[in-house]
Amino acid sequence: MKSNLTCDACERELVAYADGALHAAVAKVMEQHLAACARCRTSLELHRAIARRLATLPGIPVPAGLENRVIHAVNAPERAKAFWGRLGAASLAASFAATIGGLVFWPTIAKEWGLPDPASALARALDTGVEGLVAIPKRIALDLTFYGPIARQILRSMEGLAAIPHAVFVSLRSPEAQATGLVLLTLGVALYLVLRPSRRQEGGIGHACLAL
Amino acid sequence: MAPDERELVRRCLARDERAYRELVRSYQGPVVNLAWRITGSADDAAEVAQETFIRVLRSLASYDPERPLRSWIFKIASNLSLDVIRRRKRRPVSFEDLSNEDGPTIEAVDPGPLPDEGMRLEWASERFEALLADMPEHYRVILHLRYREELPYDEIAETMGIPLGTVKVRLHRAHEILRRKLTARGTTT
Repeated sequence: MKSNLTCDACERELVAYADGALHAAVAKVMEQHLAACARCRTSLELHRAIARRLATLPGIPVPAGLENRVIHAVNAPERAKAFWGRLGAASLAASFAATIGGLVFWPTIAKEWGLPDPASALARALDTGVEGLVAIPKRIALDLTFYGPIARQILRSMEGLAAIPHAVFVSLRSPEAQATGLVLLTLGVALYLVLRPSRRQEGGIGHACLAL
Repeated sequence: MAPDERELVRRCLARDERAYRELVRSYQGPVVNLAWRITGSADDAAEVAQETFIRVLRSLASYDPERPLRSWIFKIASNLSLDVIRRRKRRPVSFEDLSNEDGPTIEAVDPGPLPDEGMRLEWASERFEALLADMPEHYRVILHLRYREELPYDEIAETMGIPLGTVKVRLHRAHEILRRKLTARGTTT
């Protein structure tokens, strides 16, 4: 007896069934259908035959020397690193030997070729270096001595200026001062309005004042 | 991953040249044949295999030991092989691009008179190879991984970077293509 599974549905699962990749419950339903359906059974056989054919397809041989080429390429950066390491060590050793050789043989060479005495040249170089080093803080100290008092005076003046707004605010706290201030402000504004020069008042007081 | 593979990876990470050689020897055959199956060229396959092992050995530190080593190696080999095809065709191809299964739709095949068809599969190797070579590369790869390398479905999914369901669908479609072509050409007789 066929299960409820249709042939189309069975066909869709046939490859997975042949590969043993179906869940046990689904596989059981498939088995029931296959047991009753010759067409799906034949189809299954064909899928299995295709699978067998694919599994036995000939391949190509591994290219000769692949392993060595891979190992050589993988080790190449290591070899380069080792080379530069050796080169660096050799350069360091050569420079050390040259320095020692120079120190030992320089007096003889200098004497031979008429070059300055290494000891006095070294002393002069040291002297110049020390003088240069001392000159910088010396210059800074001198500058500080000269500009210090001036800077102090400027600072004090600025402190004095800062006291003016404070004094204004303190004096404005009394009602008399506030009234006086308001009157002065009003007078100032009125005076400005009267005296301001404008094109509409050619020959006015403002222009007369400016002409003075 | 098997304990001996874990040990092999550990030795490779310690820059043991014998371990390098052991790893290459273990996988060179499958990798060369996978690359050949995808690219269809022995020269390209040799280059892909070489580049695959160089990348594998150089990036072993980033390898997750919880995943199967062969899936990881096959994934690198597949991607490099696809790069070769991409360069050849000058159009983008990747497994991820194909994961939504928008490839050629396979029409339902009428099994027709199949009583002894499966029993008489005396397909000439060259003819079968030619049929296989005509298939899109993602079908060739999946058939190779499943039947030649005998990878289970979940490892195929991991190797190709596609869902398990897509593996099933793609294998079914690949079988259908082959079956249709074989029956159409009458190669089964």
